[in-house]
Parts: sequence; C-alpha cells; structure tokens
Amino acid sequence: MPDRHKTKSKYTVDRRIPGAFEGETVTRRRFMTASAHTAGGVAAMAFVLPSVAFALGPIFEEQEQPWQDVGAVDEFDTATYVPKTITIAKGVGEAGKSTVYMRKFDPAVDKEPKDEYNDFIALSTRCMHLGCPVRFVPAAERFICPCHGGVYNFRGEVDGGPPVRPLDRFYTRVRNGRVEIGPRFSVNREIQRFSPRDPGEPLDGVGQYLYPSRPSIRKLPNT
Amino acid sequence: MNQREKERYLREYALLKQEGKPFFPYAVAKDGAMAAVVMLSIILMSLFLGAELGPKADPTTTTYSPRPEWYFFFLFELLKIIKPANLVPLATIGIPTICMILLFLLPFYDRNPERRPERRPIATTAGIFVILAMGYLTYEGAHAGAPTQIDMETPTTLVAAGGPVLEQFETGKQVVAQSGCQACHIIGENGNDGPGPPLTDIATRLPKQAISRTLVNPTAPMPSYKALQESEPEKFDAMVTFLSQLK
Amino acid sequence: MPKLKLPAPPIPAKLNPRPARPGSTKTGPLDVAAEAGISAVDWVDERTSISGAARWMMFRKVPKGTNWFYTLGSSTMFAFLSQAVTGVFLAMYYRPDAAGGAYESIRYINNEVFLGEFVHGMHKWGSSVMVILVFLHMARTFFFGAYKYPRELNWVIGVALLILTMAMSFTGYLLPFDQRSYWATIVGVNINGTGPLVGPYLSDFLRAGPEFGATTLSRFYAIHMLLIPGAMAALIGAHLYMVAKLGTTAPPWIKADSPVKKEEKA
Repeated sequence: MPDRHKTKSKYTVDRRIPGAFEGETVTRRRFMTASAHTAGGVAAMAFVLPSVAFALGPIFEEQEQPWQDVGAVDEFDTATYVPKTITIAKGVGEAGKSTVYMRKFDPAVDKEPKDEYNDFIALSTRCMHLGCPVRFVPAAERFICPCHGGVYNFRGEVDGGPPVRPLDRFYTRVRNGRVEIGPRFSVNREIQRFSPRDPGEPLDGVGQYLYPSRPSIRKLPNT
Repeated sequence: MNQREKERYLREYALLKQEGKPFFPYAVAKDGAMAAVVMLSIILMSLFLGAELGPKADPTTTTYSPRPEWYFFFLFELLKIIKPANLVPLATIGIPTICMILLFLLPFYDRNPERRPERRPIATTAGIFVILAMGYLTYEGAHAGAPTQIDMETPTTLVAAGGPVLEQFETGKQVVAQSGCQACHIIGENGNDGPGPPLTDIATRLPKQAISRTLVNPTAPMPSYKALQESEPEKFDAMVTFLSQLK
Repeated sequence: MPKLKLPAPPIPAKLNPRPARPGSTKTGPLDVAAEAGISAVDWVDERTSISGAARWMMFRKVPKGTNWFYTLGSSTMFAFLSQAVTGVFLAMYYRPDAAGGAYESIRYINNEVFLGEFVHGMHKWGSSVMVILVFLHMARTFFFGAYKYPRELNWVIGVALLILTMAMSFTGYLLPFDQRSYWATIVGVNINGTGPLVGPYLSDFLRAGPEFGATTLSRFYAIHMLLIPGAMAALIGAHLYMVAKLGTTAPPWIKADSPVKKEEKA
C-alpha cells in the first residue's frame, strides 16, 4: 500500500503527470473526484442545515414571561403558603399552567436582601431533583416531593433527599394593591438569584458553570 | 484474539454450518412458532389488561405521585438511592451513560476467544450480577409507596379489640400520612429511609409518652408538632396512638 | 436462468387433474393458473435477479445445535413489525394537541373506534413485550459469546437498537397525555438536562423551549413515529444482513464432528 501521508512535491515536474502543463499539480481524475464530493456535499447540506436549524431554533428564542395578577395583597400572610395557578406556557390551555405557593415576606424568617421584587415569596412547585410536583404540608411546615423523596423546609431550602438546590422562585411585585407574578428564577443555597435552570442542575460551586443559563429563559437584568 | 484463533474459529464454524440444516424451513418454522407465541401474549394482554387511560395531564397538581413505566423502575429506584446533591448527575446521566458505553465496547475489551459461559467466569459473573442488580432495583422501584400514603394493614389484634383505639389508629394513620413524616422516616414500605430513624417498629424502642414528648420537642431538623397539639389535640392523640402501635 | 420451484398446491389427490396424455397439448385451467403465477415470479426475477438474494437468505444453512434461544431475535423483529402496523393505524385517529386534543383523541380511540382499545392495547403491551425480548435476545448473545469475532459490529448495531427501543418507549409514553405520561416526560426530559454543559440545551431542544409548551407534544410525536422508527428499520436491515452474511452462531458447547470421524461414518 502506498504511503498516503507522504507530502507531495508542489512542482509539476515532480508529480510526473503525463502531458501536464507547467503549473498543473492536479490530475483531471482527481479534480473530477473532488468536484463530485463537493457537489454532493453542498446538495446534502442544502437540506440538512436548514432542517436542523429549524429544529434547533427554539433553543435560541427567548420566551416572553408576562406579569400575571394572582390576587389582592391581603390574601397572603407570613404564616402559611397559599397555592395560586399561573400560566407558564402559552397556547396549550390547561397543560401550560403551574401552581405557585405564595406567602408574604417575613423578616424573621427570610434572610435574603429585601428589594422591590420580593415583598411576596412565590415558590415553584417543581421539585429541584427532577421536576415532580411538590406539596406543602402545613403540619410539618415542609414541602414534600412524592417521587424520589425530596424534602424542603418552610423557605424552600433542601432539608433532605436528593434535590440539588432550593425550590425555584418567581419575581413578585405589587401594582394597585394587587400582587403580580413575573418570570421564574433559580436560587443557590444562599438564595442568590440566577437565570432559571432546569431541575437537577446544581448552582453551588462549579454547578453554575457546568449548567450554563440558556438564551431561551432569563432572569430580570440587574437583580 | 489473534490471527490463529480467528482462523480456528472460522474453520470450526464452517464445519458446524456444513452439518447444519437450511434456514428455510427448519429455523423459520421455529421462528414462526415463537412469533405466534409472542403475538398471542400481546393479544391476550391487550384483551385482559386493556389500555387504560389515566386522568388527564394536570401540571398544576400537588397531590399526584408520578411513577414511570415498569422498564424504567430500575432507574427510578437508582435515583431514589443516590441522595447527595452533587452525585445526582451521576445517577441520572453518569451511570446510564457508562453502562451504555460499556455495552457498546464489549466486543473490544473482551478479547477472550473462549465462548462457553462456564469458561468465562468474569463475563458470566458480571452478566448475572447486572441481571440480578437490575432485577432487584426494578423490584424495589415497583414496591416504592408514595410518601404521602401508608399501605399498611391494621394489626388483627387491634381489629379484634375494636373500640376507640382502633378508631384512633385509623385516624392517626391518615394524620401521619398527611403530615409529611415519611419524608424523613420509613414506615413499612412507604417513606424515605433517612435522615430520620425508621418508624416501622418505633413502639419497641420508645414508650407512648416518649413518642408524644419527641413530637412536641424534637431534635433539629425535625419540626415540632406543638402547634398541632394545641389546635387539634384529638388529631395529635391519634397520631401518638398510631405510632405507639407500630411494632 | 434459474426457475423457482413452487410447492405443489395442497389439494386432495382426487381433485388433482389427470396427467396429460403423452403427445397431447391440451392444458387445463389449473395448469394455466399455475403457469401464470410462475411466469409472474419469473417476470420479476428476470428484471431484478431477486431469486438469488432470496435463496441466499432463506436456504443458507444454520449451524448444528441451533435451539429455541435463537428465535428471540426474529420474534423481537416481529414485535417491531406489530408495533409499526398498530402504530400506523393509531396515527389515523391520534391528534398531537397538548391543549386537550391528544387526550380526547385517545379517549375517542378507546371508547368509540371499532376495536380501538384492542389496537391501542396491542401497541401499549407490545412495547413491553418488545423491551423484554430485546433484553432476552441480548442476554442470549452475551452468555453464548456470540458478540465475539467476527460479529463485533453486529453487537454494536444491536446495542444501538436497544437504545432506540428505550427511546421509543420514552417518547411514546407522553402521547396519551394523561397524568402518568406528563410527569414521566417531565422527569425524563430533566434527566437529559443533568448532562453537564450540553444537558440544558438538549432538554430545551426536546421541549422546544424552556417550558413544556405548545410544540413539545408534536416534537415527541414526530420523533416517535418518524425519526426513530426510520432509524430502527434501517438498523434492523443492517443487523439482518450481517446475520445472514456471517451466519448465526452455534451454541458454544456444540463441537463439529472431526473430519476423521466423518470419514469413518462414510
């Protein structure tokens, strides 16, 4: 077998192509072979690339998350959570809704810095292990996941089981005496805000770099 | 496997093939019979078990306990067993991916020319171990009760005795199931084994008064049930009665 | 040109036409019918030469000692065919609409369509049977050492088929859109998401967005009924071709008669 990795001379004379003009280094057959491959490749890419881009499109498209009215200010207190239903995906009716547990900010319990977006605490009901629906149990003051046994305390921090970070939260604000819920955000162990991650993706240590935020969903800037 | 072993195998195989029978109709007849058995079992399962449709998907639920199809039970149980948060990706992606890569590359790292299972002790043991492990995980996953209910039969002695104790036992079972105890304690087949101690036979270790005291004044991180004792004492008493009957 | 010999039609001897007298050219209608069938096969064969391939596939020898364990592969393929056919007919009634249409269409199949629940059940339980058969087939291959030289590539194709089968059950699980399917899919997609670096993008791709939305169901539907079945059919073809080319293994404890013995026998 000839050595295919041998570097070929760049001079026409050394190539010994019969009947070659000065400056030629490629035989007609080689040129035709290369053109066949190129033409085939271009034709195939012409349908592969657009279809793949079409399928991948939603990854790069930011989803709009409008503010939603969930009730009057006096519906919520600091002692317990009130479940509220909001829409997180448009166009699918009931299948795009989700439940949020809400209560008032309590300086005695909540240690995170106070700002305009956390007069009310709104916790997502998605378990941060793999996304099962958690339930608030008033007697134990715990959130309990029925799948793989995750437990969260009153603030939504992990108490036991496999969840990797505290329960996700939503921005809240007050407009004309009504409480409104905005975009979702994820939190690490210190309840710092991060762009929303999927369940199962830790945010402490190197977690936030191993599981980067996605262009499709972002937290509010500067919060 | 070196060149000589390869040639030896091919020679042996050529002889075996020569002594064999044509695929059609001998092997095809067996294949056909097996296919008929397979179709028959599918049809019987379809007729007797049907294709039940559950309640409509409801993303707002907070009471539903999701469970996978049976052939993913092993993964489900694996996810339950692996608790530390930084090991979760290992359970979800790591172990399945490693298993898949090991499966893909099997012919490339197992270069032993021997084919008889009893003369390949490592391969055979590993194969049997994997089957047993998956069987065990599947079994455990299938039996995992939801941590929001207790599948336990009332002891026959209590049923025979009847009266207020039986009533309190049944109420207490409901209260315990709904109070989230099983998030940290295992009771029979339901709940998580840890971080709290198992409650399956708590009455053999703690008398009734001690159970009551622990519920009101627990060691952290267990929450206190003092509020329940003050607001609804009969529920609290039922809870204590139920727990003091677990032996 | 080789002529295909068809087996004699199984009719009672009395009904068989009497053999023609020597020298007579009279042909009965049965002769014409039989001739028509043979000539149709001949017509196709003359233009495709397919009889050679068919003979190579069907009349190859299987080695001595082949037993019932060797039917697991073909019955897996049979289960796949059953899934394909029942799936095509379910698709005639199914609507991949997360806003309620999907659940309603399955309920319609179960309650209204003639034999609807039966066909739905066959598809549902067929998937379980197929998963079991795939695993049994793999166990047979493993314990008989059938993945060794010269069949390494066929083992690799087989593992790919196993993964595709599992992917089929995962994507198919969502389609009825009841509680079980919805939450199993949420968990499954999030499992994909825990892969470092690419995971989050992969689950965005599967869901077509950051949340379970309007096009997630149709995405799963397309993957379930077009993408994976196509890949599986192609891989099964390759798997089968290689089985025919290399031959099925004999059970490892079977030994060929030594040539010396053979001569003695003769």
